[in-house]
Amino acid sequence: MSSMTSYPIYRDPDTAIGCRTVDEQERSLLRRVLDRIADHCRARSLFVLHYCTGCGAIELPPSMTSRFDLERVGMQPMVTPRQADILLITGYLSVKTLKRVILTYEQMQGPKYVMGFGSCTINGGMYWNSYATVKRLQEYIPVDMYIAGCMPRPEAIQQGFLQLIERIDSGRATAWQDYYRRYDWYLGNQQAMFGEQFQTPTDVIAEARHYALASAETTGRHTALLEQQLQQAALMPVGPGRAAGESQ
Amino acid sequence: MSEAQLPAPLHAVFDEITGVIFKRQGARRLRVDIDADRLPTLLALLKGRAGYLHLSAISCVDWPQDSEFELVYHLGSYETQVMVAAHIRIPRAASRYLSVYDIHIPAGFFERDIHEMYGIEFEGSPNMTPFILTEWQGPPPMRKDFDTLGYVNQHYSWQQYDPQWLRELEARGGGLVE
Repeated sequence: MSSMTSYPIYRDPDTAIGCRTVDEQERSLLRRVLDRIADHCRARSLFVLHYCTGCGAIELPPSMTSRFDLERVGMQPMVTPRQADILLITGYLSVKTLKRVILTYEQMQGPKYVMGFGSCTINGGMYWNSYATVKRLQEYIPVDMYIAGCMPRPEAIQQGFLQLIERIDSGRATAWQDYYRRYDWYLGNQQAMFGEQFQTPTDVIAEARHYALASAETTGRHTALLEQQLQQAALMPVGPGRAAGESQ
Repeated sequence: MSEAQLPAPLHAVFDEITGVIFKRQGARRLRVDIDADRLPTLLALLKGRAGYLHLSAISCVDWPQDSEFELVYHLGSYETQVMVAAHIRIPRAASRYLSVYDIHIPAGFFERDIHEMYGIEFEGSPNMTPFILTEWQGPPPMRKDFDTLGYVNQHYSWQQYDPQWLRELEARGGGLVE
């Protein structure tokens, strides 16, 4: 009975299953096969979160309802970001809404996909010379696919969804990984828009490590600012004194 | 349109105050042009004598060629059922005016908005802190001398879109027209 306690603790559950050491090559192959099966299943069951910022929301009911019926391809609207797979940005983004989009995006669990609807998300659309409208969405969050049009018709939306499904199925819709790999660049663009104080409640760097996607570009000049703020916040007194400091 | 067609309570108001130019713009619309220093008196009189309890909006127009801002106070009354739009002009250089918060409380929001968008300071308004714009460091963006495209070029980058078919079209003398 005493030998029970001396079992080694397996750090990696994948290698522990077979009770033998699996070499890296074999493991990555197994993982790839499993990922392909998962991708195949995932592509047929997608929950869609609509971030209806602009007129694009009008084109979605016809896409969802009986005539075009998105449920045929396994897509359904979802109410919360935490349970959604696809984030639809349906229309122009002002600087103010972009902040909310980033917060929403970071709440979603990987793998996650972003679709930009209409010319507004591509290049500002008809608000191309507006001081308050964001021009290129992919500078702030990774975008898998844009659907051109002002607004795109339900047929175009359908086509876009089918292409996205095909990309997910073949494992090519990997834009979300880019957010973890190059978080510093995305954060830099976000900071350029919202000021150097900008930070979100999500610990993206820790998530990147969790997904084993952290690279040399995950951290950098801009994430260093985040850490500085964190240290300063840690030194601040908790309570009313801190609240007063934050409001300034 | 003659003065005789005005509802009686409005008559009473315009008898009290001088220097008012009014113009009937429809069955239920009246435009009033007035000196800037008489406007608070007019609003108070309208509120007290003609039931203009509702200030639905304050709008602002920038007239750079006249070096003036135009402020329009839109008022409604359930008593007379005539909308009154009171127009005033204030000098652009000073860009200061009095708050009418003490007469109409919702004016606080409109004045805060105009302050942010046009840079007009309202004396006596309860709150002049930034309102709608997010992290804005530029000049008031609704002024006509604000260079929107210049700001956009400085702060955003454009999507590159240069497909083969567009290049061919441009080589034939076609393409996008500015």
